[in-house]
Amino acid sequence: MAKQYKVVHCTVNGKEIEQVVDVRESLTDMLRNDLHLTSVKKGCEVGECGACTVIINGEGFNSCIYLAVWAEGKEIWTLEGLTGPGGELSDIQQAFVDEGAIQCGFCTPGFIMTSWEIVNSGKEYTDDELRKALSGHLCRCTGYENIFRAVKKTMLRHLGKFEEAELVNSQGITEYPDPMPFK
Amino acid sequence: MATKLLMAKSPEEAAVSKTASAAFVAGGTEVNRLGSDIAEKAETLISLKKCSGLDGIEADAGYVTIGAMCTFQDLVESDKVPGWLKEAALFMASRTKRNMATIGGNIAARRSDSYLIPALSAAGAVLELLGSDTKAERIGIVEYFDGAYDDKLITSVTVEKDIRLVSKRYANTAQSHAVLTMSAAMDEMGVYMNGAVKNVGLLHFCDLEKAFNDDPEISEDKIIEMVRTCTGLETADDMFGSDAYKRYLIAVTAFDLFKQLKGKEV
Ligand SMILES: Cc1cc2nc3c(=O)[nH]c(=O)nc-3n(C[C@H](O)[C@H](O)[C@H](O)COP(=O)(O)OP(=O)(O)OC[C@H]3O[C@@H](n4cnc5c(N)ncnc54)[C@H](O)[C@@H]3O)c2cc1C
Ligand code: FES
Ligand code: FES
Repeated sequence: MAKQYKVVHCTVNGKEIEQVVDVRESLTDMLRNDLHLTSVKKGCEVGECGACTVIINGEGFNSCIYLAVWAEGKEIWTLEGLTGPGGELSDIQQAFVDEGAIQCGFCTPGFIMTSWEIVNSGKEYTDDELRKALSGHLCRCTGYENIFRAVKKTMLRHLGKFEEAELVNSQGITEYPDPMPFK
Repeated sequence: MATKLLMAKSPEEAAVSKTASAAFVAGGTEVNRLGSDIAEKAETLISLKKCSGLDGIEADAGYVTIGAMCTFQDLVESDKVPGWLKEAALFMASRTKRNMATIGGNIAARRSDSYLIPALSAAGAVLELLGSDTKAERIGIVEYFDGAYDDKLITSVTVEKDIRLVSKRYANTAQSHAVLTMSAAMDEMGVYMNGAVKNVGLLHFCDLEKAFNDDPEISEDKIIEMVRTCTGLETADDMFGSDAYKRYLIAVTAFDLFKQLKGKEV
């Protein structure tokens, strides 16, 4: 049967775009194939792994199961949009590097997009909440602890808790000295 | 395979357009998955994303009415939604998926590892449906699964707010398919128990309800024996566990939920 096409207008990484898409095309395909934003990974294409996560109007979505036509009028961010004009890494990206939260890197863009939503939410998540908030992502390499630590430290820094961020140990637990100097 | 997409602007337009070769798509977490047989069998998808009036949550006189397009995350974040339903919504562990998946889609998907159906069934939820003749009707959720309503659009779900309801879900990981999701509710008439057993289906545990209602002090051993020998239960050995394991799990969960309910305030 003949395919049906539609024009989509949206903002991607701050730029307005107009793109003709097959109405059954996923947002992953539009971002990767049409806009060449290859940080958006195709892992499972069934909503299982989180590698395709992008931010739509401030919230994380699995772009592989999101139709491109639904992006009409939306504001979309991918990992490419987080770096500075000279390619400088954002703080959450740098934290992933510093904490060794990357091995093969396939899951990393998706993890960083969800983490970006978390660290910019202005909310202080408990360790348990943070683990749950990251639970839509699968990583075959790192064992998650380094990722957790990168996100937790960046969240604390965003909240102005720089000293507390330095007290997060290798297991991701905040080791408060006794007596606690702040709070 | 679906090659056409209709962006319905109203529930009426969506309902009228639903023919045998069309399928609704709400959050798309089931329909848009690679290899989804829903999209494989349909020629046209009817997107509900731009349908007006399907996304509010209203609380009124002890009842909450939830628009079919409300996402799991909407349920979790709303202060009008009762705690037992938030808990069931949180069975969907992935936040990104909760941002997409809708309550209407979850009911219509009728999965044997359903997140919400056991709780909504035990709560006696009422669905509002819209047929292709644009006539609205209200039916109990359990009735919805008898097959006569497959082509109708679910427009809203109404539940009683202040009920005693507890749930449990067993899966290997937060992301895995659950072998058993079970809910129990209680009012002055007695206990109600519903579940979803992977690869078996959506179940109403009438015999267990009767056993607990007849003898609230019934022993766990008796419940285990009852489920072990129940001929009406079509559990089988598969990769989610043996028949014996599933029966044992249903029995001990039913007993635990009943115990929890007895001690639970509304
Ligand atoms: C990785 C992964 C794991 C999953 N695990 C589970 C699980 O364990 N348990 C579970 O229950 N689900 C699971 N799902 C399926 C799905 O996420 C949920 O069932 C979800 O609630 C479906 O909602 P939706 O809005 O995305 O539905 P859609 O995918 O849009 O639609 C699902 C079905 O409902 C129909 N439909 C949608 N809205 C309506 C309506 N208003 N009226 C009538 N029909 C309608 C569609 O035609 C389709 O048949 C999983 C999905 C993924 C991607
Ligand atoms: S590629 Fe989208 S969730 Fe795996
Ligand atoms: S770093 Fe390889 S999958 Fe996560």
